[in-house]
Amino acid sequence: MTDHNPLERRYRRWLALYPKSFRADREDEMADVLMQGADPDQTRPRAREAADLAAHGLLRRLSGGRFPSPWERAHANVMFPVRIGIALWLCFISAMLVGYHRGELWLLLLVPAILLHLYIAYRIRPSAIAR
Amino acid sequence: MQETSFLILTALAGASLHGYGIITDVAQISGGRVQLKAGTLYAALDRLAADGLIEPDREEIVDNRLRRYYRITRKGAERLAEEADRLRADAHAALTRLRPGVATS
Repeated sequence: MTDHNPLERRYRRWLALYPKSFRADREDEMADVLMQGADPDQTRPRAREAADLAAHGLLRRLSGGRFPSPWERAHANVMFPVRIGIALWLCFISAMLVGYHRGELWLLLLVPAILLHLYIAYRIRPSAIAR
Repeated sequence: MQETSFLILTALAGASLHGYGIITDVAQISGGRVQLKAGTLYAALDRLAADGLIEPDREEIVDNRLRRYYRITRKGAERLAEEADRLRADAHAALTRLRPGVATS
């Protein structure tokens, strides 16, 4: 690790955002890809590369790399409408709470839940799943 | 199938490739329109491997770094062929409908 050139060290700092288990298998491989794509006079990771590594690394860390789960992906034809349905139901609950019970504080819980279900639905949308 | 998956499978249909080889081939196939980043590439490779469409082929060490090659599986080739047929049919339908308009404009 210590004899990497400065650019590779900087790339590896961004790769550190990935979970340790992932890095054990993939860090060298991804560092190789990043270094092959670097310009000869490049000294720092490009902003888009860093953002890409940060987004995918953190998502993998948050989800353990299995998000949505393989089971959910395998049953996407059923789970896609289920997730959309849950999101719509939560929207209805939110509207009822705000409209009739001044339950705006519940939105702190419900809005993230709605967004999460919509995000999962987006990830397992029919066009995204390679059958 | 996502365009990224389609392009990666297309790249691997020609030969087994390592990560950077896939990036350059995908850029070439797409006429430079799709420039995969490393994080996006490896997320896609993991998805395709989990679905059984690609698999690791061989490994070599270059500059003290692991270089892993990937190849398309039989299932991946079948899936790519299905998707290519579907896209061709869609494109044919679009062009068939556009031709009268294009011819008269």
